[in-house]
Amino acid sequence: MATLAIEPPQENKAKKLPIYEASTQFRNWRFSFESLAKVRGSMNAVAVAAIRKKIEADEPGSSSDIPFLTADEEVLLVKHYITMISRLSGGFKFPEEVEATGITYLKRFYLKNTVMDWHPKNIMLTALFLATKTSNAPLSLEGYTRLIPKTAPSDVLDNEFLVAQSLSFEFSVWHAHRALWGIWLDVQTLPDSTVKLSPDIYNSALSHIRASRLTDAEFVYTPSQIALAAFSLAAPEVAARWLESKNSAAHTISPNVIEEIKTLIQTQGHPTNVEAVREVDRRLRLCKNPEKVPGSKAYMAKKAAEEKKAEEKRLKKAETLQKAMDEGDPFGSEIPKSRVGLVDYEDDDDDDD
Amino acid sequence: MAAARTGGWLQGKTVRRSGLASSSTSATRSSTPQIQSTSATIFGGGVKDPSGRTSEYFVCRDFIFALYSALTPVCESCIDRLFTLGPAPCPICNKTLRKLAFTPQTFEDLTVEKEVAVRRRIAKDFNKRREDFPNLRAYNDHLEQVEELTFNLINDIDVPETEARIQKYKAENAALIELNLQREEAYARALKEQEEGERREREARALELRQEEEAEREEKEKDRRSIIDKLETSDKDATKVIARAKAHALKRTNARNVSTSAMQSSAQLLRSRAAQSFDIPDVPHVPLQDDYYAYEDMFELKPEMYDDVFSEAVRKDREGIMRAGGYILEEAWERAIRCAVAGLDLAPLVGLVDVPIPRLPGLDDSGDVVMA
Repeated sequence: MATLAIEPPQENKAKKLPIYEASTQFRNWRFSFESLAKVRGSMNAVAVAAIRKKIEADEPGSSSDIPFLTADEEVLLVKHYITMISRLSGGFKFPEEVEATGITYLKRFYLKNTVMDWHPKNIMLTALFLATKTSNAPLSLEGYTRLIPKTAPSDVLDNEFLVAQSLSFEFSVWHAHRALWGIWLDVQTLPDSTVKLSPDIYNSALSHIRASRLTDAEFVYTPSQIALAAFSLAAPEVAARWLESKNSAAHTISPNVIEEIKTLIQTQGHPTNVEAVREVDRRLRLCKNPEKVPGSKAYMAKKAAEEKKAEEKRLKKAETLQKAMDEGDPFGSEIPKSRVGLVDYEDDDDDDD
Repeated sequence: MAAARTGGWLQGKTVRRSGLASSSTSATRSSTPQIQSTSATIFGGGVKDPSGRTSEYFVCRDFIFALYSALTPVCESCIDRLFTLGPAPCPICNKTLRKLAFTPQTFEDLTVEKEVAVRRRIAKDFNKRREDFPNLRAYNDHLEQVEELTFNLINDIDVPETEARIQKYKAENAALIELNLQREEAYARALKEQEEGERREREARALELRQEEEAEREEKEKDRRSIIDKLETSDKDATKVIARAKAHALKRTNARNVSTSAMQSSAQLLRSRAAQSFDIPDVPHVPLQDDYYAYEDMFELKPEMYDDVFSEAVRKDREGIMRAGGYILEEAWERAIRCAVAGLDLAPLVGLVDVPIPRLPGLDDSGDVVMA
């Protein structure tokens, strides 16, 4: 690499921003457990209120006995679909990155939207599709939908913009499995490498990371911490030694954090109970937002309202145009057109016929 | 045959569908009306005039158009036909025109032609320079006025009024216009003279060079002859004679080189003056504007190979196909390790951090996402 002739301006004592803290994952998608619960709770409440209002508008009085979902049940449903993403990725043989990104997108989406509005079935497909695109492993829509039973391309595409918007178009995600790979490489530089690092350790740690994806770990902890926790579950002593080596005055890493993550993975990192999910799904069918169900009265009403607004806009525009036309040429007086001769010189068609 | 050819324009060639008549290959285009070969066309010729009265034989490309007032494309033969006998009404707009008023068309688009003609005319009169104004603002205002007049003339807005304004301006500033005209002429003349001077200089130099060469050649000849003579006549040592002659020749060439170098230096002076640019040197380009802390102090890349399952394929790849895109394995490792230490010391948030209810711009009142 050529050396710069001019040095960059010296930062005089200003603290440089760590690169992870400049990422959107740190800035926008970092919560505490309490705030996560609060967000989900309030999202759920708002959604229930809105749906209730819509159903009341449809048929007054019927909404009182509809069993709306609670926030926890929503989480359960989302968890189930996360396992589905893993299964799909396995079927497609996607790289780990795609699977992880897809799962993250799904979880983030349901921090901003509710299950009752958008069923995870299609959102999951869209999230995974988006993940293939943003992780530089794209495949064509037909290739994608062909291998998934009972899916039309429109199922995936309709929600794409919605999902992207809910993610605030922040597609870049820092993953724990990358950090795990980094740890795996870095422990090889530990001064006393008595432990023979076998691939089993790595695989075990990776399975722990996969379990962590079912939890909320990535919203609270950094990927490096999650990776260290997973590694510590697989090879505790090595992990402890590595942590020691990284601990210094400038960077104090608290082992408690790692312990927290470990417990989190072990308690919540299990796939869901199929029965419970089925139950939730059944109830979901009852309490779905009628506006989003094509064919229902509320949906038609909303569509009609939208149409009307668009129509009005169009009419107004036509009106202004008409006015401009009536009051003379909207572009001002024309340059007198040179009389068109008998030969059309603008015709550049050079062949004889 | 030659005889037939001279009167060829009277005969009118028929244009067949499959091929063009030879003389008009480049001129006519496909949209030339296809003329059926009937008896009328052979003598009546081809295309009908816009006025519908007579016919022309070919529609020629070199259109001539009237003064910017009319902008009618008229071909040369029609002009000859209509206007040779003096001013005549234009067949289309019935304005009386003179043959002199027609100018050959330089642009394909007649509107452009008109605009150019207008601007040429205006530029002759409105030729004030920046120095004639007290400040930049006044100059720009003047230019704007001029542009307004030009625009009016081009687009036929308020033509009589605009003309009146032009006349008024001419009357008011007659002296200044004259002065500026003189100045421009003087400048043009000065430039020409400069060019002349340069040319003469160049010629003179070339002449001199030629003379130099001549002289040199003669000298050489003379030297040789003198050597031969001396060898003949004198009885001194042959080598010494030759040596002396050579010394003479050398001295002479040195003297000549000194004189020519003086002449070359003037050319060099010119070149150096041209090459001297008083540009401000560019601001040095700093490609990386951001200045992040990338956890360099938290890890160190192992100089040897890592034992790494993932990079086996890349490492075993003999032909380097996987590395063709610029993939450097060490960088990948470095990035992974950086990821592993990034934020390791960041304590997680606790408690109710002020996270507002997500309100995306696309949400409507009920919290629904409004798909744009």
